[in-house]
Amino acid sequence: MYLKFKNIETFISTGGKKLNSNQPTICFIHGAGQNHFSFVQQIRYFASRGFNAIAPDFPGHGFSKGKCNSSIEDDAIWLSELLQEIGINEFVIAGHSQGCLTAIEFNKLSLKSLKGIIFIAGSAKIPVNDFLIEKAKNEPEKAYKLMVTWGHGKHGSFSISEFPGHHHLGEGFKVMEMNHKSALINDLSSCNKYEKGLDELKNINLDCLAILAKFDLMTPLKFGKKMVEHINSCECHVLDCGHFLPTEKPKELNKIIYQYLKNLDI
Amino acid sequence: MSEKYKFDTLSLHAGHVPDKETGSRAVPIYQTTSYVFNDTDEAAALYNMEVGGHLYTRISNPTISVLEQRLAALDGGVSCIACASGMAAMHLVISAICSSGDHIVASNKMYGANINLLQHTMPRFGIETDFVNPNNLDEIKKAIKKNTKLVFGEVIGNPGLDVMDIPSVAEICKENNVPLVIDATFNTPYLMKPIDYGANIIIHSLTKWLGGHGIAIGGAIINGGNFDWSNKKKFSTISGPHFALDGISFWEEFGPSALTSKIRAEGMYNFGPTLSPMNAFHILQGIETLPLRMKKHMENTNELIKFLSEHEAVSWVKHPSLDSHPDYGIAKKILPKGAGSVIVFGVKGGREAGKNFIESVQLSSHLANVGDAKTLLIHPGSTTHSHLNSEAMRSAGLTDDLIRLSVGLEDVDDIKKDFEIGLKSVLKSR
Repeated sequence: MYLKFKNIETFISTGGKKLNSNQPTICFIHGAGQNHFSFVQQIRYFASRGFNAIAPDFPGHGFSKGKCNSSIEDDAIWLSELLQEIGINEFVIAGHSQGCLTAIEFNKLSLKSLKGIIFIAGSAKIPVNDFLIEKAKNEPEKAYKLMVTWGHGKHGSFSISEFPGHHHLGEGFKVMEMNHKSALINDLSSCNKYEKGLDELKNINLDCLAILAKFDLMTPLKFGKKMVEHINSCECHVLDCGHFLPTEKPKELNKIIYQYLKNLDI
Repeated sequence: MSEKYKFDTLSLHAGHVPDKETGSRAVPIYQTTSYVFNDTDEAAALYNMEVGGHLYTRISNPTISVLEQRLAALDGGVSCIACASGMAAMHLVISAICSSGDHIVASNKMYGANINLLQHTMPRFGIETDFVNPNNLDEIKKAIKKNTKLVFGEVIGNPGLDVMDIPSVAEICKENNVPLVIDATFNTPYLMKPIDYGANIIIHSLTKWLGGHGIAIGGAIINGGNFDWSNKKKFSTISGPHFALDGISFWEEFGPSALTSKIRAEGMYNFGPTLSPMNAFHILQGIETLPLRMKKHMENTNELIKFLSEHEAVSWVKHPSLDSHPDYGIAKKILPKGAGSVIVFGVKGGREAGKNFIESVQLSSHLANVGDAKTLLIHPGSTTHSHLNSEAMRSAGLTDDLIRLSVGLEDVDDIKKDFEIGLKSVLKSR
């Protein structure tokens, strides 16, 4: 759905369903240079199982207009205001990659309605190498290509998709290309300068879920595990795929998340 | 586009890794109509397009999916639908985008069945087409109307071998917010990927060079994922609410793969032009050797162009790699690896001489196909167009003496020897 938020056209994927204020909500937060299409195999799944499932396009990403946020802190505040604007009640947030940093920061806002946090292929600190930063700044298309090829595991690289006929690398590239050209450099810079993630984890007092990827070259598994170790209560699963876990292993991911949501009893 | 592996590697591997249960290195043939659901929840998710998977082979099948994913990777697309034939692919694209009252701009130098579909069949469903010279850019611009929903052409026209200036036509399409649909059968992604030049949707007859063996009919649609379907009024079938699936907008839910999602949900479901899994397997075997075959096709083609050009019984030779061809310049630019392995030529002595040539050759096969591993010939004047007089032939862009040659992979010396026999009979008949 589209809405004017802060006077800027903003898109929130709802899986084609109307939001129901009586249902709990799961809000997916996309990663660096991504948009709601990262969660194409999650949104409709959860929207058809008793949840409001939403995935907003952050400013300058996907179908949302406006200038990109310039920090993880800004992303978290923007998201909390957006959720208030659309008037949802109890909710869980699920961040992918950079979205995990946004989720850590979002926790600081101490919203009572936040009932759980899901970390997908992420870590508490995501430093970005200078080469990728330079490419994202000056040749974003080359940066998309690098991220898409690094980001997919074996199956993704061989174009093996659970969605018949879909080509991971081609689709991944086009999803990134749909954003404003400044989106990726903004996001990578935000990740680079966000260094307090590990310290913030101790402030999370919710039961969390982490789904990490065995062959993740963007946020390597060892850093994901370190994040999990710093959270008071976090169930952890490792799937046999690359960084683009939501599209590489959608069915396994959905089952784990669904069980987590059931256990939360929201 | 973004690929981890190069073309030759993707030809062999894209879309498949050995399955964990059997270790089968080759792509298994899933000769099944349907698939057992693990539970009702999974069934519901599949029917509702919440997750990917297979529910009925009319809509998708694991063997066919390997082919689709391989083709999408080779052509630099985001997604692919494989179907029963190239003509089925064309109809699926038109029916996904157009409705009654809509308009198409198409090349007037295309394969006859393409023209028939647009000229005679689609008007019965309220979809009109204006045919234009594919390389007259002004004509294309002028033909685009408010209700034009797509522009259609071939990279290399059949049988005239006209080469479309894809980059320039793509620019016109972009300016007018109309997708450019390209039949790329004659070039295959080995010689040229139209998406790299701005085309939006690619159609292949897999029956030809991609299969390469002449044993299986098939077609495919490759979605470039590079067209903006957001105009809900103009592209209501893609970005407006769907009649099922909670009224979703394919554009909002699937973005770059909106077109193929629409075709899967509607065209494959409602029309059912399904490729058989066995044919998908055969075509995959062909694609494994596509780079090797296309290289050899082009080597033989270049040799035969020289041979025919110098032969005393041949009156003319047409191929886009010859500087006498009107599209030589654009062919050089967009087809640097070669402009396809079909040659058309004329034999001295007109219709009768053409007939003599065809009846004298022994190695080459006289039939109505192209892109086989074997050398194929047809003389329209004595076969497909034998009912037309010379004047009618000319207005169809053909001449009495025209022979269409699809160059095969035999030893080129043997093809030359065979042609020598045929051409001797031409000389004798004069």
